[in-house]
Amino acid sequence: MAKVLETLLAIVGGVGGALLLYYLLNKVAELLPARVEAGIKPYLYILPAVAAIGLFLIYPAIQTVVFSFANKTSTRFVGFGNYAGLLTSPGFQLTLINTVLWIVIVPTVTVAIGLGIAVLADRLAPRGEKIAKTLIFLPMAISGVGAVAIWKFIYFYAPPGQPQIGLQNAIATGLGFDPIAWLQIDTAKLNSLMLMIILIWAQAGFSMVLLSAAVKGVPEDTIEAARIDGCGERLVFFRIIVPQIRATIVTVFITVLISVMKTFDIVYVATNGGFGTNIVAVDFYNQLFTNGNAGYAAAIVVLLMIAVLPVMIYQVRQFRAQEAAR
Amino acid sequence: MRMRRVVPQIAVVAATAMLSTACLAASPSDTAGSGGGVGSGGTPPGDKQVEILFGFGGDQTRGFEAGFADFTKRTGITIKFSEASAFDTLIRTRVAGNSTPDIALFPQPGILLDIAKSGKLADMSKVVDLDKLKTTLVPGELQAATGSDGVVYGVPAAMNVKSLVFYDKAAFAAAGYTVPKTQDELTALTARIKASGTTPWCLGIESSSATGWPATDWIEDYVLRIGGPQIYDKWVKHQIPFNDPIVKQAGEAFQAMALADGNVLGGRAAVASTNFQTAGNPLFTPKPGCYLFKQGNFITQKGFFPDSVRATIDQTVGVFQFPGKTADDLPVLGGGDIAAAFNGADPDTRAVLDFMLSPQFNGGTAEGGWLSPHKTFDVNQYPDALTKQIAQIGYTASTFRFDGSDQMPGEVGSGTFWKEMTAWIAGSEDLDKALSNIDASWPANS
Repeated sequence: MAKVLETLLAIVGGVGGALLLYYLLNKVAELLPARVEAGIKPYLYILPAVAAIGLFLIYPAIQTVVFSFANKTSTRFVGFGNYAGLLTSPGFQLTLINTVLWIVIVPTVTVAIGLGIAVLADRLAPRGEKIAKTLIFLPMAISGVGAVAIWKFIYFYAPPGQPQIGLQNAIATGLGFDPIAWLQIDTAKLNSLMLMIILIWAQAGFSMVLLSAAVKGVPEDTIEAARIDGCGERLVFFRIIVPQIRATIVTVFITVLISVMKTFDIVYVATNGGFGTNIVAVDFYNQLFTNGNAGYAAAIVVLLMIAVLPVMIYQVRQFRAQEAAR
Repeated sequence: MRMRRVVPQIAVVAATAMLSTACLAASPSDTAGSGGGVGSGGTPPGDKQVEILFGFGGDQTRGFEAGFADFTKRTGITIKFSEASAFDTLIRTRVAGNSTPDIALFPQPGILLDIAKSGKLADMSKVVDLDKLKTTLVPGELQAATGSDGVVYGVPAAMNVKSLVFYDKAAFAAAGYTVPKTQDELTALTARIKASGTTPWCLGIESSSATGWPATDWIEDYVLRIGGPQIYDKWVKHQIPFNDPIVKQAGEAFQAMALADGNVLGGRAAVASTNFQTAGNPLFTPKPGCYLFKQGNFITQKGFFPDSVRATIDQTVGVFQFPGKTADDLPVLGGGDIAAAFNGADPDTRAVLDFMLSPQFNGGTAEGGWLSPHKTFDVNQYPDALTKQIAQIGYTASTFRFDGSDQMPGEVGSGTFWKEMTAWIAGSEDLDKALSNIDASWPANS
């Protein structure tokens, strides 16, 4: 009950406070001479947002860069020591390789699956399309931790002779093989791939929804024209549909890519980076909270920021180009 | 007339300023005390409120809270019990953010001593009567919470005992096995069980994001037995390399005892993915899957051993101390929850500490499997004979040492030690490689 009340108070206070703040800012502007008022008003309106971003985003970002050059407890500067230490450690090199694999594989497969389903579902009767899409979209609503809990029932391993409650091992033992500890096998990165499947499963719905909308937006006459000209279905798909929804594909790809770079929960819950499955976000967490090494943690974040930056710039440019084309 | 217009204008500007800064106005935080002080964090002194932050949960929390029922009634002090499911993360964040609790119960002395470097923890000798406590405390616990500066930063509020081997009394008796008194006898018993066609040991080290820790207990127990307490202490402090020959011997002894072919249920490959909580359950199946299971005293709690076994625990479950080289050599590896004070100057905090750290305090013997770290604790308060026996093993130990991995820096104790042991047991690298990897991961002093 107290929690509900607190929440209500927070909502009322937060929304009311924001309204009041804008109202007062408006009043302040109105106190000024009319000419100044018109000039200054827009700035006053964006001021709270800019101030909040500055305080909660830009200031910590700068602080992080500074701390990445400092020691474990951020009390003494160590130059590039943290970066050198990280980049020369075999453990972190493996972490980087894994992260690159995640970045390459997950968005690609997610887009491919999303697009495939979008195109195929488009051909179903409305009822079937709705059901299929709902099912694919459902995992979107499940948190990373929940997704791992579900998938553990697929990968679960119990020693031979004990009941196998995991799907894959139930099949394996049913066929007469010994149960396999799936998440421990890093040959050919099998365990990392199995963790990636969890994220793909969770993200495919998002990709499908956006791409499906785009596919439906492709003008029917372009497709018909192609068919009249004698194009097969494959050619229609690759030459007519895909080029027209390219912008959406890129957007989906980049959105998924950015979320992959930040992925933490799946790997943390499933293996905590063990068995050669570590990725940067998990490493960052362990450096900061297990090892109490703020220097390494900050350096990892800075590396991640540097890696995300070009993607962000590309996305913003893409967005602008799209806007300009309209 | 002009005044009328100015007043609301000022009011508008002032209100705007207030609104926009309200969320920034943090309460004035206290500055860090210098090392060896008494600390000045937590709630204000003398306000009859004390916050205790701890990492356990469920029945343990209920038992712990119940232990203070009379105390709070008697003194009028309100205790805020803050349960943290991710203790390490929370305590580090709260220390960094200068919003420390009055008292924190650290399961890992390594993290306690790391945080002590911030100067925010009280020198316990200035807060409680250490000399008096030393006469009743199990030795080794205080030592684990003593910094390199010689200052004691923590005093145990609970103990656990890890050098234990559990067995099924009926199955053991039916097969004619007897409790081994030395390592050689344990080796002989293992061979005998193996010869009878059953795997002797149950072993599981899977513990989600902490996978590997039960293996570190095995290594530590063997280092303590093969190298002795002095070598053990040096190893824990990294005064000898992590991959010292003694440690390698410990690894080999562990391997020979519990990892060799036919010695462990499911085979070596299964160990890394068998959950530690339920790994011992095949002890109690009608046809036993194994006869021996080494784990800490907490394994008897609800959710770990099967409910049916727990219902008749004294009749079903037997336990013996993981033996030493000789029958008189009874070293015990253990752990505990170590209380440290961020607010040692506050009389309320002192009152709570005095009570909680005394031999009279009962932090939940019935509910949570809690063990007192005091040798003079009234053992009749323990709910069953098994718990009583386990507590006695702790109290009568010839040597008591705190879990080594909990004392090591986080990089090793909660990182590479777990992971490399797992990799070694899973067969992806050999013992030499695992030990030298751990040694290489030991953080330089910075």
